Amino acid sequence: MKRIQNYAPEGFIALDNSALIYPPTEAVFNANTFRVSMDFSFTIKKVILEQALHDLLYRCSYAKIRLHTGFFWYYLSPNDAEPVVHEEGSYPSGRFAFKENNGYLFKVLYSEHRIALECFHALTDGSGAMSYLKLLVERYCHHAGLLQAKFSSGLDYKVRPTKQEFSDPFQHLYDKRVPSYPTISKAYHRKGDGPFDDLVKVISATIPTDQIKKKAKQRSLTIGEYLSTIYLYTLQLLQQKEIPNQKQRKPIRLSVPMNLRRIFGYDTMRNFTLFAVVGIEPALGFYEFDEIATEVHLQMVQAQSKKRLLSQIKRNVSGERTPAIRFAPIAFKNPLFKLLSDFLGDDQYSGVISNLGYVAFPPQLEDKVVRCDFHLSPGLLNKISLAVIGCLDKIVVNFNSFYTTDTELERLFCTFLVEDGIQVEIATNREDKR
Amino acid sequence: MAYCVRCGVKLPSGAKTCPLCGTEVQLPPGMEETPSELLFAKRLPPEGTRGITKARKGLVELIIALFVVSEITVGVSLIFSGALAYMFIPLFCIAMATVSLVSIVLAKPRYVNNASWQSLIVALLLLGLDGADFTWSWSLIATGGIIMFWMYWVFPWIKWTQKHVKSGIALGIVSTLCYLGLINLVVSGALTWFMPVAIPTLLALLVGTLLFLFWFANRKGNRIPIADIVLGTMVVFFSASAVFDGSLTYYKTEIFSLRWASSLLVAAIVILLFMVAVSFSLRLRRYFTSHNRHD
Repeated sequence: MKRIQNYAPEGFIALDNSALIYPPTEAVFNANTFRVSMDFSFTIKKVILEQALHDLLYRCSYAKIRLHTGFFWYYLSPNDAEPVVHEEGSYPSGRFAFKENNGYLFKVLYSEHRIALECFHALTDGSGAMSYLKLLVERYCHHAGLLQAKFSSGLDYKVRPTKQEFSDPFQHLYDKRVPSYPTISKAYHRKGDGPFDDLVKVISATIPTDQIKKKAKQRSLTIGEYLSTIYLYTLQLLQQKEIPNQKQRKPIRLSVPMNLRRIFGYDTMRNFTLFAVVGIEPALGFYEFDEIATEVHLQMVQAQSKKRLLSQIKRNVSGERTPAIRFAPIAFKNPLFKLLSDFLGDDQYSGVISNLGYVAFPPQLEDKVVRCDFHLSPGLLNKISLAVIGCLDKIVVNFNSFYTTDTELERLFCTFLVEDGIQVEIATNREDKR
Repeated sequence: MAYCVRCGVKLPSGAKTCPLCGTEVQLPPGMEETPSELLFAKRLPPEGTRGITKARKGLVELIIALFVVSEITVGVSLIFSGALAYMFIPLFCIAMATVSLVSIVLAKPRYVNNASWQSLIVALLLLGLDGADFTWSWSLIATGGIIMFWMYWVFPWIKWTQKHVKSGIALGIVSTLCYLGLINLVVSGALTWFMPVAIPTLLALLVGTLLFLFWFANRKGNRIPIADIVLGTMVVFFSASAVFDGSLTYYKTEIFSLRWASSLLVAAIVILLFMVAVSFSLRLRRYFTSHNRHD
């Protein structure tokens, strides 16, 4: 099968290297989806949103695609069907129903005051989705006659899409001389209490940016590092309770997706993320918060080293290019990918914390924005995922969980913040006795 | 705006409990809060997408991929070796092995589910192997045997049976009768020994068991008397054996007499007397019980 250069949305479009794992591993408890959303003070109208969506697809023609199962690989092809705008339901980041969405790999949702974009990970990563959402909001404001807002970063509606926007940088950065990244041992996985199902229950913690920034700065950490440290500390407390014997405690590790666009200078709208794995070894003894903070800071700096990233890219791309994998029918690859994604992926870390960073709004829009949200689907091994996003003067930490009643991790995390002197405001989609 | 007294977090306006710890919100009397906007606007009924997990899906796909490869390999090799006449058997066996493995992965990991599926698959395999020429003989008996296994080792663990014990026992007896009738039909082509031999034997077994159970249910105290249970079981077994021998002899010779069962009965009576003696005589019992011997 010939691999066509994948910048043009015509004919056969290969999935990018990072996206290869998502279609075969898609299953219940493994939705591989995420959602970004913005809440406004004005009311959202479906008709106008549909117009904005048409504009978005006109500008980003490479997003007008559908997923196919080929003989050797999953692949993308242009999709001429009408895009669908959905009303928002109670649970975000569920399993993606492609048929209900006319084959598109992303879904636009709306409620009275919210515009949301839910993506299947094979299309793009969080940063890419945020760029799509920004353009969608821009076009919505344009059609609604509200104001001519233009986000400082993101896509320009009036500029033609470049080749780089739909390129797969992993293929460009692949260097076969670099040694492959080593694999690591299995990490601790929290058992959790009580039942669980595949509905994503959210507890959303809203934190004032200035307060958390101050606390992180006191410890010479970034906000992302500070939150990762709390997450590790919380998991350590839970592990201590679950496994009393210190020697039997497995390492606690977090998977922290890193946006490679800034590091390598690419402006792609496809997946361009790798995972930093930061962690501690509780078998060696109890880690104080500051000890974890030091570990996290050092490990994050190490993980962002270009050399290490290139080594990870080499491992991932060489796997794709191995002839035995390349020419094996999809029927053989699928089970292999599923099992490998557990053994080499989820097994190696105890939780995910994805930080989308700060979303800067144009000044005209600032007084109309209420909040931003980011939701990430959890997995079967790690049933809680953390998604962080910042906008205006607050940071929103969303705990996405499969657990029906267990909120112990969320409680310990938020209590730590409160005890550290940070105000935390909670919202949830869990059944409240209101 | 209320705060949780336990976690210290700010709660949504109008919340009755803290979403983190479940602590009830205590507001001063007369102070009512209007509920704030929900995190997600529309309340949809929970509708979890049903399906299998990633690892299970992977295993099923792997099994199916291996099935396709082995079917092709075996099929092609049989074609080239000219053994077309025997082609059905290996291909069918591979297919049934695949179905068996897939069912293990997909079925809920419960004894009843797995045992039922595997029994069904083995029965189908045997029927398929025997019925390659569309005539069935030995496989009918084997399938009956599998059904009997299911009736005695799976059926009692089903919730319905545990609720309806009497009906369950009745079904077990009927199925045993049917199985014996089936064996008779397959082997002899008609019901020959079934009525004169199988029915009386089963009847004796049934009456004996019922009497034993009646005695057991009405015993004094909650003690489980092992010696008495062994004794009772032996009585039931030997009586049923005697009836079987007697009815078989009558069926063959039309004379009421016992053959091999008479010696069995003699041995049984000796054991019976010994056990009765042990049951009643403390002195005898002490003789066999080491820790009492030196009292």
